[in-house]
Amino acid sequence: MTFISIEFLLFFALIVFTYYLIPHRWRWVLLLAASYGFYASLSSYFVLLLLASTVFTYFTGRIIEKQETKKQKKKAMLLGICVLLFFLGWFKYFNFVNDSVRALSTYLNWNYAIPYQEIVLPIAISFYTFQAVSYLVDIYKGKQKAERHYGYFSIYFAFFPQLVAGPIERAKKLLPQFKVEQTLNYENISYGMKRIAWGFFKKTLIADRLAPIVAGVYDSPDPTGSQIVLATILFSIQLYADFSALSDIAIGCARMLGIKLTENFKQPHFAVSIADFWSRWHITLSTWLRDYIFVPLCKGKKKRSEIYLAIVITFLISGIWHGAAWTFVLWGLIHGFYRVFGDHTKHVRGKMASFIQLDRSPSLHKWVKIAITFLLVCFSRVFFRSDSVAAAFENARLFLTFSSWKPSGIVEAAEMFSLLDLVIFGFFFIIVQLFHYIERKNASTWNWLSQRPAFARYAFYILIIVSILVFGVSGEGFIYGGF
Amino acid sequence: MGRLFIKLTIIIMVALLLVIPVNKFVRESYDYNINQDILAFKKDPHPVDIINLGASHSMYGYYFKPTGLSHLDLALPAQTVQYDFKLLKEYGKYLKRDGVVIISISQMTFANFEIMDIGNYYEILDHSEIEPFRLLDYYRYMYLPGAKGESVNAALSGTLKSYRWDSHQPWANNGKNYAERKYEYVENQYRKATKKNYVEQNVKQLKKMLEYCKEKGYKVVLTMEPVHQTYQEHFDEDVMNRLVFQYLNTLEIDAPFLNYMNDPRFADNKDLFLDSDHLNSEGRKKYSWIVYEDLKKLGYF
Repeated sequence: MTFISIEFLLFFALIVFTYYLIPHRWRWVLLLAASYGFYASLSSYFVLLLLASTVFTYFTGRIIEKQETKKQKKKAMLLGICVLLFFLGWFKYFNFVNDSVRALSTYLNWNYAIPYQEIVLPIAISFYTFQAVSYLVDIYKGKQKAERHYGYFSIYFAFFPQLVAGPIERAKKLLPQFKVEQTLNYENISYGMKRIAWGFFKKTLIADRLAPIVAGVYDSPDPTGSQIVLATILFSIQLYADFSALSDIAIGCARMLGIKLTENFKQPHFAVSIADFWSRWHITLSTWLRDYIFVPLCKGKKKRSEIYLAIVITFLISGIWHGAAWTFVLWGLIHGFYRVFGDHTKHVRGKMASFIQLDRSPSLHKWVKIAITFLLVCFSRVFFRSDSVAAAFENARLFLTFSSWKPSGIVEAAEMFSLLDLVIFGFFFIIVQLFHYIERKNASTWNWLSQRPAFARYAFYILIIVSILVFGVSGEGFIYGGF
Repeated sequence: MGRLFIKLTIIIMVALLLVIPVNKFVRESYDYNINQDILAFKKDPHPVDIINLGASHSMYGYYFKPTGLSHLDLALPAQTVQYDFKLLKEYGKYLKRDGVVIISISQMTFANFEIMDIGNYYEILDHSEIEPFRLLDYYRYMYLPGAKGESVNAALSGTLKSYRWDSHQPWANNGKNYAERKYEYVENQYRKATKKNYVEQNVKQLKKMLEYCKEKGYKVVLTMEPVHQTYQEHFDEDVMNRLVFQYLNTLEIDAPFLNYMNDPRFADNKDLFLDSDHLNSEGRKKYSWIVYEDLKKLGYF
């Protein structure tokens, strides 16, 4: 049962109905059963692993809290984190490390006998492990009390709307919300439904319509440069639509249960710098990495070079978190480099903008920065999308080749779409951009819509539903669901 | 909450009202009714002389009416060997005692692992044979195909055939563009199928199907339908050996193999083709006569 299915909508409708029907004291049981049921429908093998990780984190949290000295607390925390990371490492990184060591051994003529192991990656392990780590660290730092109620804690660990791909929530924000008695609220139900519908819209009309086009180029043994350029730009759009749709559905579902999750995206492709991009893209991961990797790494560091090293390490971890492959390592390093380079050249770039008088037209200056940031992000995604390091470098070479950007070549590459598909995609892409435009001009498009005449609002909602029903296509799950 | 319920009801009702004409459009489309001949046969079954299996090459390949033979065409677009076998098990009982089963082999036979539209089989196969059979999908396909993006797309593409890029027209650049795109598609499917071990599964399915035919006493003939020379240029001997014959040769097939792929009677005659690998009605008639004559020579009828 995936989010994009009638089964999920029926399942969720039943949960919402029952949730508000039963007394508050039993709701945690319902949410827990729903969460484990949902997880089992995706990955029945690994329910026990989820359960084991939950039990382990629950007791480790309590043990950390019971320790008397800071040193003892730290030991317990580190031990807990090591065990959690061991699970993650075993399932996600064993073959990556094993293959890398084997390749190195072959190169150096060493004898290395450990064969490839058939290890299936448990769904959502990267997400719930990060939530568990933040929970233990927060208890150690005294920012969070160890949760006594095992039921509530288990829901924090496995809350089904955000279990598969986030947003990565902190216990401090989520746990208290489970304990508050939520009442059936018009605003919550209405807003939740809109967010879910919008998530379905982006996923089925943008992401899944682009997926085969992008795959066609990236799976091809000899794509042209222009095809790589266009497919990479389209992949950026696909990735955003896919992942932000997942977050929209998660946020919408949680809101219908009265729970407010953290926003994960703020129009990242309109970022004016790489730093700005990371404050708009996968926000809950960025803040997690900032709080639990970057800040501890920077502790006591004052030299700029040391801060830069911390930035690169943080992005490296971000890359490895995304996937167990060297392409993701390189992707992380590229972003680390972007970030350091951006910081180091900030003044020079400012002077250059003044010299060419670009800063006299702030609007133009802003759009130039947006375009450059978007292209830098696109370039990094060549590594994110390619299947191997060799393919990534070849695709990157094509992406950077001047002739690949010839307008005639790009127009020709657009024929990867059938004309009909291009028109359909173009129509829905414009709708998404209009939505974003209104959001940039106002705080929230939904609020803006609520001030429009009833006819306009209803027309928009009907357009969304009819579009999903008639033109929506559903592919093979979510990209970030695989991490 | 009552307010919300009323609003929701209005929105859903209007949305459904708007879907009704789309639903009608899809239900009447060629693609949605692609299995209608099999469905008609199921309603009024009768003994047949020939059954042909396979994918689109076979579906557009045979028309035996002028020969006087009764014929059941069980080929459907992108049909896998697995579904060939399922259909044969379901409809093989209608084959006359000396009837013939034509198993069509194409460039895609061993590389094909995805059923393009599982809905095509809902009414012509027992539900236990459909994998995976999901009740909600079944009802949506049967009663609300207008609410299925893939079906709407197929219906639209079928209706707006001429609404294509110039370079995507079947005979643009003398059919070379089409043939090249198709070649890339086949190669891509083959790479995926090899990686995921589907080729081996298809070979096993074909073997099982041939054994089943032997067990039931069906006369079998393997065929490869003619294609235009622009298509042949991409699928030369080496390519065909890699995609098809290396696997076919591993099976000890006790049946004739009639390979018309490079048949000169078709190779340079565009008038016999819809595009460079599918015969049109004229090509179909001509080809079926040739097959009929060759089968007679082999002593089949």
